[in-house]
Amino acid sequence: MTERVAVTGAGVVTPIGIGTDEFGRGLREGRSGVRRISAFPCAGFETRIAAEVDDASFDAASFVEPPKMLKLMSRSAVFAVASAAMARRAARLGAGDVDPWRIGVCLGAGGMGVVDLDLLEGQADAVLAAGREQRGTRWDIPAFARAYRAHTNPLSMLRGLPNLAAAHVAIQNDARGPNSTVTTACTAGTQAIGEGLRMIQQGDADVVLAGGADAMINPVGVLGFGMLGTLSRRNDAPARASRPFDKDRDGFVIGEGAGVVVLERERFARARGAPILAELAGYGATCDAYRITDERPDASGAAAAIHRCLDDAQVDVDEVGYVNAHGTGTPMNDLTETRAIKQVFGEEARRIPVSSTKSMIGHLLAAAGAVELVASLLALGGGFLPPTINYETPDPECDLDYVPNEARAARFAAALSSSFGFGGQNACLLIRRW
Amino acid sequence: MSADPTLVAGGNLGEVVRQIVADVLMVPVARVQPITELVMELGAESIDFLDVVFRLEQALGKKIPLSRWGDFVKERLAGQDLASGITTDIVREFAEHEAAVP
Repeated sequence: MTERVAVTGAGVVTPIGIGTDEFGRGLREGRSGVRRISAFPCAGFETRIAAEVDDASFDAASFVEPPKMLKLMSRSAVFAVASAAMARRAARLGAGDVDPWRIGVCLGAGGMGVVDLDLLEGQADAVLAAGREQRGTRWDIPAFARAYRAHTNPLSMLRGLPNLAAAHVAIQNDARGPNSTVTTACTAGTQAIGEGLRMIQQGDADVVLAGGADAMINPVGVLGFGMLGTLSRRNDAPARASRPFDKDRDGFVIGEGAGVVVLERERFARARGAPILAELAGYGATCDAYRITDERPDASGAAAAIHRCLDDAQVDVDEVGYVNAHGTGTPMNDLTETRAIKQVFGEEARRIPVSSTKSMIGHLLAAAGAVELVASLLALGGGFLPPTINYETPDPECDLDYVPNEARAARFAAALSSSFGFGGQNACLLIRRW
Repeated sequence: MSADPTLVAGGNLGEVVRQIVADVLMVPVARVQPITELVMELGAESIDFLDVVFRLEQALGKKIPLSRWGDFVKERLAGQDLASGITTDIVREFAEHEAAVP
């Protein structure tokens, strides 16, 4: 029998709480982190709502040493480093407790700092200098280059490279083992944790800091996703806009933040007396190979990912007590996901509670799967089911128990967490009581 | 790019350099003394000097190719260990050198 892998710590930065205590409280209360965008003036945008991290309650500098590293970090890298620090503290994994070469990092990353506002402004200045006054005329690239070179800090490029969040986590934690970045967008956080599991199972590390981070609440992110028709436009009632599985759902709400878990080989965890939250028992991944945004209508890609995950964990469908859904609140995803769950779980589908925490925190993109796994861990350990809030009108085609509106007490032994992203990339994780 | 007028007025290049070093290394300016060793005492690394040269460009209103900093340091600290040799004073001398050339 293969050795088990434990989750020994978790840390999060979310729109409804920094750290697992506050996040857990928010989940139990069904709190919404969705508000009118404050990060930039959004008048005139078709979508003017998002789930932002409350900067006032987040002391970035306290997680970074030395302080000058902050200059090199995009917003999402800061979230990742903070979450990793909190996870490690929770795991009581001190500096000398693990051989540096035996601790790895695997993080999901998204758009990164290339679209941070100050960088966009610099580019805008350079474009203006290029004298392109009207569409269709050639722009003066040498003039652009002169202006860009004159005003752009050379270090700004370092905020935009997706692999550097994981590099910062490694530097802050002296983690010299394998270091990987997963960029499968909405699936990245789940996939990164799954790949981290494999690192340990393959013997390449004893400990892995695994998770995801994203911060796309900026003009390009909001416009980009909005123009694809994926975002809710319920601007008049932000806290009610994210409504997965509801008949009147109209798209997702962008969120930001990060989640990191500490994964440990069983023998290593036992030897040092680590606190154990759960077993990370299974991981399954597939790709629809169908369309860039549309999922296979027969849900076969998603269903296969769930199957693979359950097989990997050697868990039967009747052992799963909770499903943390991808549940973005788009008309298509929620329907396809419901079909996939019914296909895999059959009769059990009616029994198993399925909820979407995106109803509260929005869609954290590359961080979503990681934060949602932490939500699942808190549910498993805390004996409750996070709700799907804003569930007002049932959709006849989505007829499962979505834990509507209020958290419920529930003891269960195993939970499935799913992510089904753009590009048809699907991944699922299974956690089990230790 | 145009020069910082308070600088052109003359005389306080030393203070400008201290502030630049403090901003780049994110330390209080009081910790940046003329003989402070930027690498050994304040943890400066290679990319920090990129940032310093960029901010000197902004202050002096002129382009400063990075190679000029490299050449200056090599010549000025010939035979010395670079890690302990690069002090705030060295940066100030470089800034004065660059301010003087057209």
